[in-house]
Amino acid sequence: MSLLHVSGLTKEFGDLVAVDDVDFDVEDGEFVSILGPSGSGKSTVLRMVAGFEEPTAGTIALEGEEIVGKPPFERDVNMVFQDLALFPHLTVAENIGYGLKQQGVPKAERRERSERMLEMVRLEGYGDRTPAELSGGEQQRVALARALVNEPALVLFDEPLSSLDRKLRQHMQTELQRIQTETDTTFLYVTHDQEVALAVSDRLIVLNDGGTQQIGTVEDLYEDPASRFVADFIGDVNTVTGRVTDLDDDRALIDAGTGEIPVPRTAIAADVAAGDDVDVCVRPYQVSLRDAATTETDATDAFASTGTVLSRSYQGSDSLYDVDTDAWGTVSAEVREDAFRNGEDVTVTWAPEHVHVYRRDDEDRPDGGETEDRPDGGETEDE
Amino acid sequence: MAGRSDAGSAIGDRIDAITAYFRSRPRLRTLVVAGPPYAVLVLFFAIPLLVMLVVSFQTSEIGGPWTLSNYTNFLTSETYLTVVWQTLVISLQVTAIIAVVGYALAYSIVRFSRRTTLLLLLVILPFWTSYIIRMYAWINILQSDGVLDSTLNLFGLPAVGLLYSQPAVLIGFTYVWLPLAILPFYASLTNLDPDLIEASKDLGAGPIRTFTSVTLPMTKNGVITGLILTFIPTFGSFITPRLLGGTNNIMIGMVIENQFKSAFNWPFGAAIGMVISVVVVALLILATRFGGGLFGQRSQGGAEA
Repeated sequence: MSLLHVSGLTKEFGDLVAVDDVDFDVEDGEFVSILGPSGSGKSTVLRMVAGFEEPTAGTIALEGEEIVGKPPFERDVNMVFQDLALFPHLTVAENIGYGLKQQGVPKAERRERSERMLEMVRLEGYGDRTPAELSGGEQQRVALARALVNEPALVLFDEPLSSLDRKLRQHMQTELQRIQTETDTTFLYVTHDQEVALAVSDRLIVLNDGGTQQIGTVEDLYEDPASRFVADFIGDVNTVTGRVTDLDDDRALIDAGTGEIPVPRTAIAADVAAGDDVDVCVRPYQVSLRDAATTETDATDAFASTGTVLSRSYQGSDSLYDVDTDAWGTVSAEVREDAFRNGEDVTVTWAPEHVHVYRRDDEDRPDGGETEDRPDGGETEDE
Repeated sequence: MAGRSDAGSAIGDRIDAITAYFRSRPRLRTLVVAGPPYAVLVLFFAIPLLVMLVVSFQTSEIGGPWTLSNYTNFLTSETYLTVVWQTLVISLQVTAIIAVVGYALAYSIVRFSRRTTLLLLLVILPFWTSYIIRMYAWINILQSDGVLDSTLNLFGLPAVGLLYSQPAVLIGFTYVWLPLAILPFYASLTNLDPDLIEASKDLGAGPIRTFTSVTLPMTKNGVITGLILTFIPTFGSFITPRLLGGTNNIMIGMVIENQFKSAFNWPFGAAIGMVISVVVVALLILATRFGGGLFGQRSQGGAEA
């Protein structure tokens, strides 16, 4: 039995479908992130689990028990708020002890458990200060301690790290992982920041426009994205447009403007049919560059185009090149060699087995329509 | 300055000169900025108060010999002290009623209403009508066979004839000061971060516990400000109790007014006024000690600390 089982979860605000039939499970001890752009419905999902919003339809079961309809103060979950929501009129110790006080835990035990929590988050001796006297990072730790001290079945995070600078955020990510392991608690973490989500999570749930795009481990999502949206949202990707000219059980012939290229069927989304317009996606690290003079460009077994190097940025072990290709416009390539100069003519190629092919669908892209603008919630991504 | 036109630079130079003049004389600068408000306070508050203090130590007419008798007469008279006590009781009752009614109103406006601006406007609207006219309207409502009684009759209920009773005075005061108290209540409630309420519930506190341990403490300053704005004018009021309370509900403000207007015993009136001022200021200091800052200048959480 999963610790948290969410099924058919839907939330409508008037005509707007904020969350549309979402299913997922969180196992005991897992660190799961809900990742999506703003307006994707991720915070609404979290607020429904916490009890601040009532779902329009669907069920939420915590430890096998249905919790929809229960008020927030009767749910065995605690939330770390985006703006932390520390009580400014209480000391740090009183903030942490607030939940225990509601449970009727005696004062001496409250103090002892608060102090142990402060130690856990490395803020020993901060108990008598007020939240206003702490730095942003310290306040994050207090908010975390205030949730953890109650030993809830599940801790919810509503993008609490988004206000921190990059360095502190990375530090807090590691801290979160350490504390999660030490306390053996289950974390459900909502964020729009793929960097945070990739760094800390065991599994990711990718939401867009209120619907689930994909659920899986970081590797699953990166290596085998279920949609162009996921490919684009998790990591960087090149997308070129093409058309499926022929399709059978083993392979498809795809014409991306450089002739028909056979692509293995496993690289092609299930709903693609012959004749469809498709997006062909490839990660920059799968793209190779060659000197234009020494290679022939009319290869029939790989995607290839000539082009000119636009820019090069050094990334430590790799260099990232932007190449203006004749066939597809700008393509990024992440390669080991750094022999190419700006303005140099090169050939860009990648192997057909490294692509992911999705049916072309304009609603699917992250930079496309915002959720708020959708005229009709009933429209789904298939039509 | 280099880039200016000739005319502009002439004015600019003068401005620069004036700025430089004041910059080198910080005391003069402070005087120019803070002087006018202080002048007004001294002219219309401190000097009259001083005059009143002087007058209160004089015998029955101004310019007469010095005496303490005005104070001793007042402080030893059981009649007057009873009136002071009665005034205190009524003021506290009004303050208590306004605390409950006003807070509930402000809370519902903030938490449950979408038409906040409209409702606030309605709350403040009575201020546009003259105080006296509103009091006469209440006389019309409360007198025997008035609007209240005839409405009660319609529903087959007995008439109450509230005018010239203590409830009438309480109703009048509540009506008059409610808008004044609601504004600070409202301001403090809108400043309250709704996330704090959610955090409290998330941590296991029900609605009542959340109200007593988060909402109320977080809005304490606004509440105290509102209550002070109610208590002080009620304590010194004389029109409302005269019009709605008749002769049975004497308040100390009426006594003072009487000394000046009918009895022409200004020194005695001044002495009572001084005593009452001292009592009210003492209560104020007590309230600010208790409440953490009049008008909220000591902010929550000690951000300046």
